[in-house]
Amino acid sequence: MKPRVDVLGAGLFAAAMAVAPLFLNAYQVDVLNSIGLYALLALGLNLILGEAGLFNMGHAAFYAMGAYTAAILNTRYQIPVLWTLPLSGAVAGAFALAVARPVVHLRGDYLLIVTIGVGEIVRIALVNDVFGITGGANGIFGIGRPRLFGLVIRRPEQFFYLIWGFVALTIFLFLRLKRSRFGRALNFLREDEVAAEGSGIDTAYYKLVVFGLGAAWAGMAGTLFAAKMTIISPESFSFWESVVLFMIVILGGAGSIPGVLLAAFLVVGLPELFREFAGARMLVFGLVMMVMMVVRPQGLWPARGRQKWLAVSGKALGP
Amino acid sequence: MKQKLLAAAAALGLAVSVTAGQAADTVKIGLMAPLTGSWASEGQGMKKIVELLAEQQNAKGGVSGKKIEVVTEDDGGDPRTASLAAQRLTTQGVAAVVGTYGSSVTEASQTIYDEAGIPQIANGSTAIRLTEKGFKRFFRTAPRDDEQGRMAAQTIGKLGFKKVAILHDSTSYAKGLADESNALLKKKGTEVVFFDALTPGERDYTTILTKLKGANPDVVLFTGYFPEAGLLLRQKKDMNWKVPFIGGDATNNADLVKIAGQEAAEGYYFLSPPQPQDLDTADAKNFLTDYQKKYNELPPSIWAVLAGDGFRVMVAGIAGAKSTDGDKIAGYLHKDLKNFSGLSGPISFDAKGDREGEVYRVYKVDGAGKFVLQKL
Amino acid sequence: MEEFFQQLTNGLAVGGIYALIALGYTMVYGVLKLINFAHGDLFTYGAYLGLTLLTSLALTDRLGFAMGVLVLALMVMGLVAVLGAILERAAYRPLRQSPRLSAVVSALGASIFLQNTLMLIYGPRFQVYPDNILPAATLNIFGLYLPLMRVLIVLVSVLMMVGLYLFIQKTKIGTAIRAAAIDQDAARLMGIDVNRVIMLVFLVGPALGGAAGLMVGLYYGQINFTMGWIYGMKAFTAAILGGIGNIPGAMVGGLLLGVIEALGAAYISIAWKDAIAFCVLILILIVRPTGLLGERVADKV
Repeated sequence: MKPRVDVLGAGLFAAAMAVAPLFLNAYQVDVLNSIGLYALLALGLNLILGEAGLFNMGHAAFYAMGAYTAAILNTRYQIPVLWTLPLSGAVAGAFALAVARPVVHLRGDYLLIVTIGVGEIVRIALVNDVFGITGGANGIFGIGRPRLFGLVIRRPEQFFYLIWGFVALTIFLFLRLKRSRFGRALNFLREDEVAAEGSGIDTAYYKLVVFGLGAAWAGMAGTLFAAKMTIISPESFSFWESVVLFMIVILGGAGSIPGVLLAAFLVVGLPELFREFAGARMLVFGLVMMVMMVVRPQGLWPARGRQKWLAVSGKALGP
Repeated sequence: MKQKLLAAAAALGLAVSVTAGQAADTVKIGLMAPLTGSWASEGQGMKKIVELLAEQQNAKGGVSGKKIEVVTEDDGGDPRTASLAAQRLTTQGVAAVVGTYGSSVTEASQTIYDEAGIPQIANGSTAIRLTEKGFKRFFRTAPRDDEQGRMAAQTIGKLGFKKVAILHDSTSYAKGLADESNALLKKKGTEVVFFDALTPGERDYTTILTKLKGANPDVVLFTGYFPEAGLLLRQKKDMNWKVPFIGGDATNNADLVKIAGQEAAEGYYFLSPPQPQDLDTADAKNFLTDYQKKYNELPPSIWAVLAGDGFRVMVAGIAGAKSTDGDKIAGYLHKDLKNFSGLSGPISFDAKGDREGEVYRVYKVDGAGKFVLQKL
Repeated sequence: MEEFFQQLTNGLAVGGIYALIALGYTMVYGVLKLINFAHGDLFTYGAYLGLTLLTSLALTDRLGFAMGVLVLALMVMGLVAVLGAILERAAYRPLRQSPRLSAVVSALGASIFLQNTLMLIYGPRFQVYPDNILPAATLNIFGLYLPLMRVLIVLVSVLMMVGLYLFIQKTKIGTAIRAAAIDQDAARLMGIDVNRVIMLVFLVGPALGGAAGLMVGLYYGQINFTMGWIYGMKAFTAAILGGIGNIPGAMVGGLLLGVIEALGAAYISIAWKDAIAFCVLILILIVRPTGLLGERVADKV
């Protein structure tokens, strides 16, 4: 793939997205908003899971931390909801660091279950109204509408530009990160941890930082989610949400930003498209997920370069 | 590369491909219901009832001379999906919306309908706060948690129980009811010896029953849903523990007795709006006959029936207001609709959109597994 | 003290089921390094198939309780085993050369598909086993209430687990499975048909899961199409707790998880029960990074 084609494709996509709300109705724009939020979350998870190869199936926990931070600050202290963005990110990131510190060295699947556990513990804590500030199962309602440059954001197309603007910014930053020394160190660590350690990379440090960064992004996405819904409750941060994000990253092609975007469109968009099937819509969705993975095992739009880390450890078998 | 671009284009195109045709000679009424997910049985029951009622109404000429078209959207029993379902209904030109089941799911859609000026009538959403936000076009056929809490405390008093154990399931609904009942019981001087929550969706509740038994209550008030209530009753019987159970309206489901088994379910009390079986209005009787004729079963739950009432109320609203304008319909329902003959008793709305009057009744399961209306 | 022992037995009965399902996870993982997220749904299929066969063939009426249930169990195990093998063929075998997380996503897709298929076939309402099948005897030992069926559940689970353990350790086919788990290439060079081994694993694991589903249906009565998700999650946790890939580990992990849940609920809080169980799991993994009985290998993924 030539760089020029890359740029052209990205430009076309951006242009199409920029004018999309002009041609779509409120529902369709809102589907795009939902896709945008998942894209944002999945891009953060992609750092952890795709770039660094750390199995994280509890991303919803960090998403929840951000959403609740924003909601609590907004409803209790009347802080405008968008102002809480950096703080939500920081809280989610700090929480991730604290949690990841003792467990980040665990081998793949053990880390997977620990992150699932963290996700469940956070959800159960929210349901049980921990510290008396999360509102229990009711959640928190009456979150104020965000304001940007004096404009109150309330309609779907207004949220569209807020969310997708943030997605664009994220893509820009993460592309830079990927090409930086930090990004290369992550990939090295993912491909061969022992060799990385041997060439002087502090693997524990890199793993922690990337965990914190990915989680901070989930926290900020949480703020946008809280602002959009105006009510949040624990059921929005269930294990299922973590699973969906995990699927997006792997389906798209771990470590691939365009892949993650494409998969966000499919995983969030297809169930909407399948509304025609009524009760059978999730059945069709499950089947499509399976088939897509079987047809494109490397992901729909795999990252360039070698991806040895993903290979089966049992080595090659006959077909 | 080409393939990738094609795939991307297809993905982008997906949102565009769904378009809503709008014919002027029909009135569209939206139904938002959990057709998939954990509450699918409620949602599919809602759909069956509303479709039957729409068919009948259309056979009688529809509303204001136009045929009614029911537009059903799946909310998956989840707030995020519900907000999309709500957006989708608003873009399809519905005059009113019926639904949905679950307070937080309903809540996620409230603002969207409000901003679109579409009246909404919820069926299975009992959280107090839903009608405390000042939405002018929001109604519900379900009574509120505080009313049920009051009724629960009162019933426990009348039945003469002194030591009560309260068990909920941490859902918004069950916790709300448990809190209301707890406060009222304590105020009346009834001793609450146990207050905790089980995890819904599991199979084995003996651990909890063992702990409950240790607290030695006269009665257990379980505020959760029927699947867990059925298992609790069944496992309680296995333990040879004879304590009576009282439940809330979420246990009013024919499957309760099936799950518990007739013997274990006998003597179980629950609170609920009256079932159509127990009303002697022609509307309720006809509805029951027709429903059984069409689907060969009894209505699956009271919540589905309440969705049916929501639909009938909205049809009455559109007919009465002679308009599909949201404000006019809402105005009619607030002011002019009085003692409407519902399938769950007479319906009138107060200024907040809640039902007026005492809706709850006390039921007891008899030896044959029938729900028998009690006079206390 | 009496309550403590009562809760302990409560936990063991729950844990027995977890352990039986955990075996399916652990066997597949041992050979393929794949987390089969659709395994919980195979368990659900066991429960549903059991109900359908039970009511349509009236086995217990014709053959009596013990014989009827035994025949029923064999039929259910056979059918779920076939389903497991089909799943392997359709969703996992094409991905065997591929990134290993791709198979996880395929498994999740399969799980959604299987679950919703059940919903469409049987409808979304809860299904209930007829409640006159089982002898409802309750034993009373030193003041502990022990329903006969709960005792049977634990006994049957342990029996199956021991059987499986002996099968893996003592038979030739078992040795082939162990060899394939250690190194598939070497196993192939030694003349082992690895594909057959994998097929076998996908027959035995689901069969045990199906048996667990049938037991849950028979004893608890109430089943629904989503129940595999929760049981599957718990069983996967149990498998990890014991050390995934390790068969005695799955047994120990399952029983232990059941007991932790019961005691946590009894003495700390019912509402926080699952959070307590996960906390214990995380603490154990911090101390023993590969679970209780897992091998301490510095193997990188």
